[in-house]
Amino acid sequence: MATREAGKKMIMLKSPDGMEFEVEEAVAMESQTIRKMIEDDCADTAILIPNINSKILSRVIEYCNKHVPTTGATGAAASDTVAPAALAEDLKIWDAEFIKVNRATRFDLIQAASYLNIKGLLDLTSQTTIDTISDNSLEEIRSFLSTKNDYLPEEEQTIRRENQWAFQ
Amino acid sequence: MTTTSFLPRSAAAPPLDDDDLLFEILLRLPPQPSSLPRASLVCRRWRSLLSDPAFRRRFRIHHRRSPPLLGFIDANQGITFQPALDAPDRLPRGHFSLNLDDRYMTLGWRHGLALFFLPIPLQVVVWDPVAGVQHRLAVPPGFGFHPLENPINGTVLRAAGDIDHFQVVLVSSDGKQPRRALARVYSSETGVWGDSISCPVPLVSMVHIGEPAVLAGNCIYWLVSASNILEFDLERQTLAVTLLPAQVLTSRNRHVSVIRVEGGEMGLLVVSGFIAQLWKRETDSHGDVSWSIGRTIELDKLLPRNSEKEPPNMIGYAEENNVAFFWTVGGVFMVHLESLQLKKLPVTGIAYRYYPFEIVYTPGIGGGHEGVEVVRHLWWTRWRQYIRQLFS
Repeated sequence: MATREAGKKMIMLKSPDGMEFEVEEAVAMESQTIRKMIEDDCADTAILIPNINSKILSRVIEYCNKHVPTTGATGAAASDTVAPAALAEDLKIWDAEFIKVNRATRFDLIQAASYLNIKGLLDLTSQTTIDTISDNSLEEIRSFLSTKNDYLPEEEQTIRRENQWAFQ
Repeated sequence: MTTTSFLPRSAAAPPLDDDDLLFEILLRLPPQPSSLPRASLVCRRWRSLLSDPAFRRRFRIHHRRSPPLLGFIDANQGITFQPALDAPDRLPRGHFSLNLDDRYMTLGWRHGLALFFLPIPLQVVVWDPVAGVQHRLAVPPGFGFHPLENPINGTVLRAAGDIDHFQVVLVSSDGKQPRRALARVYSSETGVWGDSISCPVPLVSMVHIGEPAVLAGNCIYWLVSASNILEFDLERQTLAVTLLPAQVLTSRNRHVSVIRVEGGEMGLLVVSGFIAQLWKRETDSHGDVSWSIGRTIELDKLLPRNSEKEPPNMIGYAEENNVAFFWTVGGVFMVHLESLQLKKLPVTGIAYRYYPFEIVYTPGIGGGHEGVEVVRHLWWTRWRQYIRQLFS
């Protein structure tokens, strides 16, 4: 962390509930959406991020802070582009801890990751969601999603027949 | 201080109610073949998304680096798929099968495609079993087939990140002295064979049919003769020959296979009796090549003992899953070379060679058809070739 140059540019991110977060530009640029705004010179020193409350935004910033040095996306930190295996392993453990949140928070994080276009965070949150449901029965998945079975029994039979081997 | 604001999105819906986010989440379903059919039973909305060709395409791209080993094709039993996974991912035996009227030789399978050589019409056939499409290509000049003078080998692949097009690499020896190895690459994107590429090879080295190639990094490797590896660099379009490690060359009664080792590099699996030894090739910053011995696998401790004490015979290798197929008196076993996980395949009799079928398979849902694009492309390529011939 000491290798970063002094005089880093800071950016203010504002949540709709009035909280302000001062972050390094490089950290904010983990979000491709914010990166584009900065590169296109559309951003001033403060960016209002609607739809993402301060609680979620602070988690997103925490994620970006942790992930910024290893992605080396800033160009200035070219030597960081290849993360040693140990560092990657450390990040994996950190990610696993980070994503231990309740379902509502995870869904909010998915939305935020998609909205701000942060690929790593979208991967992590979506993968965790899929992992949570993939071992469950159909009924459990439906109740988890608060979705109803909208198939007629004969339609369900047709779907099962279509790829019979997949339901054995 | 001025504040820039995003355009606010319409009322935030829960992610699984938002089609774009559901798309992202469902992309991460496991690449196993039963994933999509089973998930499509959740509700109509899921089914409509999972049957969308755009989704299925992204799903195959998303998982392309980890295609499951669905099964294999036993060279003794015609061109018929045989499953290796357990239910619910166990596709029926013969789920994919092909009848070739001509006499054929299998050159290899990769990325869900098979490559066959037909010596009589002097053609190669690329078969895409999922799309149900065959591409027949005339073997280019310089590749006239003679089992001794001009033996032929080849392989098929899809370029990194490309799931629409394929390439065929054919290799042969020119039959003259001093011997040279030849290679030519066909690209389905351009519909033509590229220039002939060659390199000198030692007298004892001869390209031969039967040993399928392994793709590691940017290179394709064939074991040629008992002492050399022929290497085709896809990026630089160059051919080169590498000698096997001296220690391997001098050992007796060993069976050498080219494999893909950790880091995606080329390596060797040398099986001698009940001992399998991994070798790794390293290239230093000066471009000098050296070999190092990796781990040793004691097959007698792994595979069930047999009273005949007949050593196992390696009859196939799945490069994407790093799985070797071993024939033993007691049956055929798949061994994962990293975890040493073992699985017995329900096979009887002698097996000569198994070709692995590794692919992200997205079976049809709701009448979804996978092959439409490919068929159109094939028709177009043939028509273009026909026109070209007319005017040449």
